[in-house]
Amino acid sequence: MRRLLIPVTLVTLLIVAIQLSVFSSLRFAGVVIMIVWLWPLAMGLAGLTALALWSAVIAGIFFDTHTTTPFGLTAVVALALAYGASRLGREGVGDLESAAWWVTPLIAGGAGLLAPPLFVGASFFTLNFSLWRDSLLAAMVVNAVAFFLLARPMTRLARWVGSFGGSRR
Amino acid sequence: MATDRSRRRTWTLSVAALATLVILYLTTGVASGLRSGANLVVSPFSWAVNEIARPVGHFFAGTVNYSDVVAQNQKLRFQLGEAEERANQGWAYARQLQQLTTELNVPFVGSLPTVAAQVTTLSPTNFAATVDISKGRDSGILVGMPVVANGGLIGSVIGTTPHGATVRLITDTASLVGVTFNAGKTDIVVSGRGLNSGLSASSVPLGTSIVQGTKLSTDGLNGGLFPAGLPVATVKTVTLTPGAATYNLTLQPAADLRHLTYVDVVLWEPSS
Repeated sequence: MRRLLIPVTLVTLLIVAIQLSVFSSLRFAGVVIMIVWLWPLAMGLAGLTALALWSAVIAGIFFDTHTTTPFGLTAVVALALAYGASRLGREGVGDLESAAWWVTPLIAGGAGLLAPPLFVGASFFTLNFSLWRDSLLAAMVVNAVAFFLLARPMTRLARWVGSFGGSRR
Repeated sequence: MATDRSRRRTWTLSVAALATLVILYLTTGVASGLRSGANLVVSPFSWAVNEIARPVGHFFAGTVNYSDVVAQNQKLRFQLGEAEERANQGWAYARQLQQLTTELNVPFVGSLPTVAAQVTTLSPTNFAATVDISKGRDSGILVGMPVVANGGLIGSVIGTTPHGATVRLITDTASLVGVTFNAGKTDIVVSGRGLNSGLSASSVPLGTSIVQGTKLSTDGLNGGLFPAGLPVATVKTVTLTPGAATYNLTLQPAADLRHLTYVDVVLWEPSS
């Protein structure tokens, strides 16, 4: 786990940079695809529980320093997704080799659908009640589709990064 | 029984811890301190990674949007020609209006100094309508200053660094702008509905003369957040819910917020 901290941190930072430079300007139906949420999810599905939580914190905190939304909210949602996915990953549910090809994308799609309302729900704890007003439904649909499509390559990347440590779990 | 009690104790402690964290988060500036600290630590690394990733982003964006860019360029050239023609016709009126407003002691943006800046980043999230610009405190830009571009008000400065600033757009869900119409007889508050959803206003009194296409500009009321006369929006729809005593409006921002490249920061502070 300790040996993997540096590669996972570096890849997570790269994901944040790609999010900020590529995905934030490449909007679909005006919606940003949040790969900073997909990455910890993929790590979780790959069964790397502790590293998934670590990457969720790093990705969320780094991303939050670049936005005006309440600080820490992206990290909280990423943590929730990473935790949920790692529970499934540990059971081998999202495993790319043993599960059917559509299982991982379907889980990721569900997470993409759930993440934006989770973000808005978490914002209520910071007494911010205005975030729901934007196109929440569009954000849910676009992120669900994008997560569905990107889930397998992202999980493969997570497994590849995880292989630096010698074992998967 | 003992299990129930310990479970209840765990829940109580969790709720108490959560409540404490929320109170600390909201009252002691912990979030602000964390944000500044994290930003300070990561900014050199983030800058380096960003410099590598940005060309990739431009490559993809250029590939996908090239035909749009060409069409937009042609349209802009046409609009520039029209605007130049209008500017030539309108300079005399502008001068006269400036003289009149000076006499009436109403701030007029034409006489206020501005700082031109380039838009560097669009908000990276779905939940905030903001842009970052290339000028900051070193150019005299302060928090609260209005920002105009593309023919109208686009927002106000909410954060500054020595060489940059963050502008909250008027379409942000946290944005509120006081506007006036009907020859200054009616003042209302316009609120943002998100980057993709424009603006809205409610509580417009019945009997007010307002129709589709009515133009709204900042009211410049004493103590207000914006100087008077900045174009804000045009009325798109006027709706009246049966039984309600007020109109609801949906509004189209006067400025094109989807294509922001350069902006002018008006060097005007709300307290001035």
